[in-house]
Amino acid sequence: MRVFVLQRVTAVALVVFLTLHMIVVHYPPGHLDFSRVMVRLANPVWKVIDILFLLSVLVHALAGAYAVLIDAERIMPYKRILAWGAIALGVVAFIYGTITIINFKVLV
Amino acid sequence: MYKTTGFISFVFRRVSGLALVIYLFMHMLVIGSVNGGPEAFNARMAMMQTPIFRFFEVALLAAVVYHAFDGIRLLIVHWFNVTQYRTSLFYAMFVMFVIVTLVGGVPIILFALEGH
Amino acid sequence: MSQAQNTGQVMKAVIRIQRFNPDVDRKPYLADYPLDITDDTTLLDALETIKNELDGSLTFRRSCRHAICGSCAMNINGKNTLVCNRRVKAFLDGKGRVTIRPLPYLPIIKDLVVDRSAFWEQYLRVKPWLIPPASYNENQAPNSEFRVMPEEVAALKNAETCIMCGACYSACSVVGMNKKYIGPHALLKSFLRVMDPRDSAPAERLENVGGDDGVFRCHTIFNCIDVCPKGLNPTQAIETLRKLAQKRRDFEAARVERQKTLEADHV
Ligand code: SF4
Ligand code: FES
Repeated sequence: MRVFVLQRVTAVALVVFLTLHMIVVHYPPGHLDFSRVMVRLANPVWKVIDILFLLSVLVHALAGAYAVLIDAERIMPYKRILAWGAIALGVVAFIYGTITIINFKVLV
Repeated sequence: MYKTTGFISFVFRRVSGLALVIYLFMHMLVIGSVNGGPEAFNARMAMMQTPIFRFFEVALLAAVVYHAFDGIRLLIVHWFNVTQYRTSLFYAMFVMFVIVTLVGGVPIILFALEGH
Repeated sequence: MSQAQNTGQVMKAVIRIQRFNPDVDRKPYLADYPLDITDDTTLLDALETIKNELDGSLTFRRSCRHAICGSCAMNINGKNTLVCNRRVKAFLDGKGRVTIRPLPYLPIIKDLVVDRSAFWEQYLRVKPWLIPPASYNENQAPNSEFRVMPEEVAALKNAETCIMCGACYSACSVVGMNKKYIGPHALLKSFLRVMDPRDSAPAERLENVGGDDGVFRCHTIFNCIDVCPKGLNPTQAIETLRKLAQKRRDFEAARVERQKTLEADHV
């Protein structure tokens, strides 16, 4: 049940975040480089939004992969191990991603 | 084996979902190159923006949009007790998916063809 | 025999049946049986005629012949349904042929008979019986019934008319992947008990089906609705249980209140 609720909550969040992400980052299509990203990420509000986005997308992705895996009868008995594995992977990826987002700063 | 719209949507949902999970981690690593400084980032980004990658981008967009509309359909079924409209809901969502993919994808293709 | 009451034109049909005898055959195979049918011949009539006149070794389950015992569910042209209330004519393809296979995803015992133990084991897991209010005394015959409101009966969505045929269970893609999943039939039964005002253990039931081998394993594929010969809606039952499982304490508290009035009525 927890996985299900998390999945639905992050799903709704992602509809908003992802639409935003697609529009602000990729349209109009053009060459993407550091300076173009910086125009946006210079603003700390965008950094916060991106970190929240990162969090929901990780939860959604890992919960989804977990659900796909335990659909298989043979894998289901190992669901505890899988769940902890997913949480560990999620935490590592979240820290890495957050550092990445913070590292978008104008160098003086 | 049941080839109903429900089953087809389920298979597409799985496949697009798993593809997106793999993409997510690759994406994070690519963007993570900024940890090595702006130059490393710019070099990596230039690599990712050759025309070939533009076509992958359209496929990626299709997967995201499909997964999103399919998810919205499931949320509708969950909240509004509308199982009797299941087939029409699926087709409605599929049409939305095609429209949004085209609207989003055509500019990318055009941009790639212009060869910038 | 089956053509005794000849109400329509006689026509030719080919009944293609998946045969399998575990003592002789390595794999199931398809066999064709040409047959004369009328408008009224049901699929079950056709099977009976084949067994009586063409091949006595054909094995299948049936009992009531009028869609109430649930023993004759099979897979017709790729879709699960009962064979006793369906006419052959409606299923004939362009070549005048209909294909009958056993229910998918279940071990075949012989020909069209499958092993349904998984189906029944999952059924027992949800405690399919009613757990009556505390005032009910097993040792003493009650002198009146517990009175339930018409809206409460309507909320059961006819789930009590399920005949346990297994069509939904063996159409479910999740069951196909994972036999630990409770399955649409048993979840529908659980829904019936949870919604019944006379049942005293809704929270326990919701806990029981609220795990990831229960309502949260369903992927909303809708095959169960598409095949149910009784027009029931297991998917909607599952969605309802999902919502109730998230507030099962409140639901139980409301049930306790409701049962007080139920017992006051019950003198
Ligand atoms: S819900 Fe319908 S398909 Fe499923 S067992 Fe009951 S009658 Fe058969
Ligand atoms: S024989 Fe009883 S349901 Fe078909």
